[in-house]
Amino acid sequence: MSFAPRLSVRGMRGIMKDIKALIFALGLSIASLGGSPGLFAAAVDDLVAAAKKENAFEFYAPSTLTPQGAQALGAAFNKKYGLSIKLQYNPSGNMTRDIGKLVGLAASGTPPEWDLMVVTDAHHATLWLKKLHQTFDYKSLGVDAKAIQFDNGAVSFANQFVLPAYNKQLVAPKDAPKSWDDLLNPKWKGKIGVSSATHHFGRLAAGPWGEEKTTQFVNALTKQDLILGRLGEIYNRLLLGEIVVAVSLSDSEIKSETNKGAPVVHAEAVSPLLAPAYHAGVPKNAAHPKVAHLFAAFLTTPDAQKIWEKFAGQSSTLIPGTTAYKYVQGKKVVYLSQDQAETVDRLSREYGKIFGFTSL
Amino acid sequence: MSTATQVGALGRAVDLKGHGVGLFAGGLTALLVLMIGVPLAMVALMSLRTGFPGEGGPLTLANFIAVYSNPGTYKVLLNTLLFATGTVLVTLVFAVPMVWLLMRTDLPLKGTIYVLMTVGILIPVFLRTIAWILLLSPRIGLVNQWARQIFGMTEPLLSLYNIPGMAFIQGVSFVPPAFFMLAAAYRTMDPALEEAAYTAGVSKLQTFLRINVPITLPAIAGVMVYLFMTALAVFEVPAIIGFPARILVLSSLIYTSTNPPTGLPNYGVAGAYGAVMLAAGLILAYFYVRLVQHGKKYTVITGRGYRPREIALGRWKWPALAFVMLYLSMEVFIPFLVLLWASLLPHLQLPSATAFAEMSFKHYRSIAEYVGVLPLINTAILMFAVPTGTMILSVLVSWVVVRTQVNFRGSLDTIAFLPHAVPGILLAVGLGYLGLAYRNYFPVYGTIAIIVIAHTINWIAYGTRTTNGVMIQVHRELEEAGKVSGASTPTVLWRIVLPLVAAGIFNSWIWISMLSYREVTMALALGTRKNLVVSTIVWQFWGNGWVPQVAALGVVLVLFAVLVIGGLKIGFRRLGEFGSGS
Repeated sequence: MSFAPRLSVRGMRGIMKDIKALIFALGLSIASLGGSPGLFAAAVDDLVAAAKKENAFEFYAPSTLTPQGAQALGAAFNKKYGLSIKLQYNPSGNMTRDIGKLVGLAASGTPPEWDLMVVTDAHHATLWLKKLHQTFDYKSLGVDAKAIQFDNGAVSFANQFVLPAYNKQLVAPKDAPKSWDDLLNPKWKGKIGVSSATHHFGRLAAGPWGEEKTTQFVNALTKQDLILGRLGEIYNRLLLGEIVVAVSLSDSEIKSETNKGAPVVHAEAVSPLLAPAYHAGVPKNAAHPKVAHLFAAFLTTPDAQKIWEKFAGQSSTLIPGTTAYKYVQGKKVVYLSQDQAETVDRLSREYGKIFGFTSL
Repeated sequence: MSTATQVGALGRAVDLKGHGVGLFAGGLTALLVLMIGVPLAMVALMSLRTGFPGEGGPLTLANFIAVYSNPGTYKVLLNTLLFATGTVLVTLVFAVPMVWLLMRTDLPLKGTIYVLMTVGILIPVFLRTIAWILLLSPRIGLVNQWARQIFGMTEPLLSLYNIPGMAFIQGVSFVPPAFFMLAAAYRTMDPALEEAAYTAGVSKLQTFLRINVPITLPAIAGVMVYLFMTALAVFEVPAIIGFPARILVLSSLIYTSTNPPTGLPNYGVAGAYGAVMLAAGLILAYFYVRLVQHGKKYTVITGRGYRPREIALGRWKWPALAFVMLYLSMEVFIPFLVLLWASLLPHLQLPSATAFAEMSFKHYRSIAEYVGVLPLINTAILMFAVPTGTMILSVLVSWVVVRTQVNFRGSLDTIAFLPHAVPGILLAVGLGYLGLAYRNYFPVYGTIAIIVIAHTINWIAYGTRTTNGVMIQVHRELEEAGKVSGASTPTVLWRIVLPLVAAGIFNSWIWISMLSYREVTMALALGTRKNLVVSTIVWQFWGNGWVPQVAALGVVLVLFAVLVIGGLKIGFRRLGEFGSGS
């Protein structure tokens, strides 16, 4: 019986062990943060008291969460901890660009614009490599060490799923891509788009495919007269039918509350499935770090998970019983580990240049 | 203390110094040099450094070597040249005939056309571009779909994703500014030559082509140079139409170097690209000045109180109106209908029975949640502060240039004109670098103030051209009379000169306010979460996939604009031609 997704890259046995432990730990953290008196109550109380003084925070999160989703999260957070914190939602239009901006601001000594950033593990990897996380002992709040990523820099709480996607009004399911290599079929030439989320390919390179095969694949894709854009733009163009296939699209776009009923679907037959994790982390010199750390831990609670799934469409593959957990059963899934961060960071830039997102 | 008393006190102080005017002019010159020179110095500095702002490090030519040893750069330069040239041509094809029709003929519905042209300015170019995608995309564009159905074509009839397509969209959006710039030349043209042509039996079209166009050629050439410089710097159409198809121009490279879609910002490379843009701007500015000076030799405007006769279009009235309506359809009606359509749907889609069944007003109800109040407040600040700051500086500069004998007044005029040569995106990147690298001395990065400063610098050339023009028209006798009665110089300026030129200043104020509202390139380059404005919200929402939400916002803004502009048009008719800015 399998309790965790199949992993394609690392030693299966060790990873399975890690994930089982993580499932247990996450469950534990959820129980403790859920308000029951326990080992971590004092630390939570202290942080709540400190958060109360900060009174507000800037929350950077995917645009697919929507303002309504962010509002619901804020209300649940305040209710849970008896706070009246003002949450200012900053929807992401381009995580890579905003991470780059944050790195630039940090170099000049300018404080970050956001207090808590929910971005993918690949983006947090960039912050980690640049030592730009404001670390916190999340374990003291009941979040298990294995759910805590990048040396106490971020907390993992949900997973996206990334696959090629198509417009089902324009492509019959039988004609949809069945593998990643199908995207190289000349029939898609001029009708296919790729987003600036090039870390998707970095994951394949750091994982099951290796760098050489992935780079060949990326180069071959450029022969397909790709339409370029940010994730939201590529989604819009797919929706309109300007392109009929997107090389990779996350379920954030497909499952978002605002996009329900749209004719864009994943090419489910394609394998491996990429599973970028959403991590919540506090950038160094954030103006309201206490609220931000508390909120990061809050995102792992059942209340927050329910809201996140309702509005943004994701849950964690690590928690048995969640939609994400059920979905990955029997699938070949690619996760990102901390030791792959540097490779993914480097290759994301390199593939960005190959696709034409940047010139130099 | 009343304003008049304050002005009087200041005036006495200035006059008492003896060299007060000279000192004042010197201070003003220093201020402008600082405002314009520092951002440009930052561009130069960043082009000679690697790394992030504030990191310091040795000066190097590495960025220039990287940029100009890359063959792709020359393709980008060619793209930029073709795009800017095409844009100018498209603009003139529509703007010149329209100026003639509205200024010199008895075309019906002129008042309505003015209002609609102004409304067109207020529809963000991003939204209009999305409308054009729905019409002319090779795969889904309605025009191409109809062409396939009617003519059985297998290939798309038209495509936007090429330089002509980009130039067409950008060119159409430039028509209102070109129109208002050319309006003055056509409005005051001596009709004697036209009448001579008609008497000789020359048709109206021939007269337009052989009399009106040649007479106003210097003015048209001036506008061409101005538009070319603007087209070098614009970002919207290259971003939505060019970038997805990998058609890069200089502005998109500078933007993506500082706001990269993948990887980290590279300010040095942006500076190296900017150097060529700046050089092009300075060369064009030189030609612009030459053209404007040359144009004065062709002046055929008669004296005070002159009013040219309107030409009767006769049977050409309705075809002429159809031409104007064709333009307005492209500029206003179709984009507005597309906005309305998109705003009523759950997600962006082409017209179909299913789409009609799914229509609702839910996105209108959620505008406040999606947009928030801050971008609206910031936009209001921008629309007030930018024209106010620009016109105050412009009036002061023009007063020194036109009304005083300060010996360096010519230099002051040239300095005030310099921002015309600096592409907006470069100005913004320079200011952004300044704000980041020297934030302790210039603590405005991330605030609305930095966008206000960028816009003010950018439009000071336009403002001073306007105020120079109106101030020349005020006879010195009035000021001399004021001085004889014992009024100080500032009092004369405040109590006599300003009231006389108020109408022209107000027109320019309104015009700059509208330009500031719709400007997106500089606002995006300097944008952060705290200084979001309506124009940047549109770009952000498109990237987020929130097109129906932003379409609803667009519809509300357009309706609001129609009401405000209509009201202003009626209320201030007495102050002169609204929005002419000339």
